[in-house]
Amino acid sequence: MIITPILIVVLAVLGLLAILWLAKSLVLVPRLPEDPAAHMRSVDVEAFRNLVDPAEALFLRSSLSPRQFRKIQRERLQAAVEYVSGAAHNAAILLRIGQAARLSADPATAEAARKLVDNAIQLRLYSLKAITRLYLAMLLPATPISPAPLAERYEQMTRLVVLLGCLQYPTRGISAAL
Amino acid sequence: MAGLCFLPFCLWMPAWLPHALLVSLWYYLWIAPKLLLLILGSLMYRRGLHREFPVFFVYLAFQVLQSAVLWAHPVFDDTYMRLFSGGVAVSSALRFGVIYEVFRHLFRSYPTLTETGIMLFRGVTLLLLVAGVALAALVPGRSVNTLMLGTNTLDRTVSLLQCGLLLFLFAFSRYFALSLKSRAFGIALGLGSYASVQLAISAVLLYLGSGRSPIVNLLSMATYHCCVVVWMFYMLTPERKPSISVMKLPAHDLDMWNRELQRLLQQQ
Repeated sequence: MIITPILIVVLAVLGLLAILWLAKSLVLVPRLPEDPAAHMRSVDVEAFRNLVDPAEALFLRSSLSPRQFRKIQRERLQAAVEYVSGAAHNAAILLRIGQAARLSADPATAEAARKLVDNAIQLRLYSLKAITRLYLAMLLPATPISPAPLAERYEQMTRLVVLLGCLQYPTRGISAAL
Repeated sequence: MAGLCFLPFCLWMPAWLPHALLVSLWYYLWIAPKLLLLILGSLMYRRGLHREFPVFFVYLAFQVLQSAVLWAHPVFDDTYMRLFSGGVAVSSALRFGVIYEVFRHLFRSYPTLTETGIMLFRGVTLLLLVAGVALAALVPGRSVNTLMLGTNTLDRTVSLLQCGLLLFLFAFSRYFALSLKSRAFGIALGLGSYASVQLAISAVLLYLGSGRSPIVNLLSMATYHCCVVVWMFYMLTPERKPSISVMKLPAHDLDMWNRELQRLLQQQ
């Protein structure tokens, strides 16, 4: 009988600690890193597309033995998860940059930043779904995976970053941001 | 809330604690938070913040009113107990309203997330409600007074729900790197801390039985006091704005992004 109250107390204490830890990390969110580039991960969209391409999977299935295919497919999906995590991580950094730029006095910059924030949020949302699907596909190879919107969203987000760069550094253009 | 039933048990305190000190502490912890709430409510009204957080404002007003009404009644008579239990029910409902208000403030700044956020909010509420009802049914608790038993069960279920919802709110905001406005953040932080401590306290009361644990009641009252101080701090300090002076676009990956842009332009 005493077990239940103890369990609830433990749960409540863990809940309190989690709330305080999350609150602390939220307070620090608006502070951008000095050099965001150093915190970005490289994401090759074409390689990602190839990894989740159903035609590619079909080709591998027909050319390899079932055992080999399962092993290779698991490794490909694992690599796809890495790409998605990288894209989600970059989106989080761009989100903070966009949030700060939303306060810009220039309406065009503020609008571009708002779009960047929206895209980065949607990318984080898609990546959550995509990672779940990719892990599910690792367990059940028959599960259909369609993370194509994620690649599209990532491309859209990168275009918005370039646009934001142009708006913030108009005299230097895109090349100046490189 | 549990602290309001403390007075008749003042004599039941551990011998090493001076009785007069405990009684003074109990009076302080009952009166001080309500006075602070009264001050906070009037300052909110003067600054027009009651329009920004109407449910929170009503909650503050109700807390002050409830305390004034209970103060006027002799402790532990039937009317007092009914008023106390009714107050717990109304406060719990208002706290849900406050949590919803904080969520609404969060989604207002991020319209993209509204649909998903509301769907997840409902899902988590349903899940926690099932867990809370199951807990209440499996471990009903014990008390000689049916009304107090019901009140404690309600308090436990509500604390579980509110603690879970606020944990979800913070986790959701962190995953999407959202910045909560500092006032909404302060309300959530105070309420979340209070709900989790209240959940632990309700579990202890489940074992000890209601009304037989003055130290636990004092802890509940002290937590509420801290929660009110957190609200005061966040409500009365100006909203902080993220700095845009450190804006520096990441160079890494930009060559690839530029290639993507050129590819897009060629497509069009």
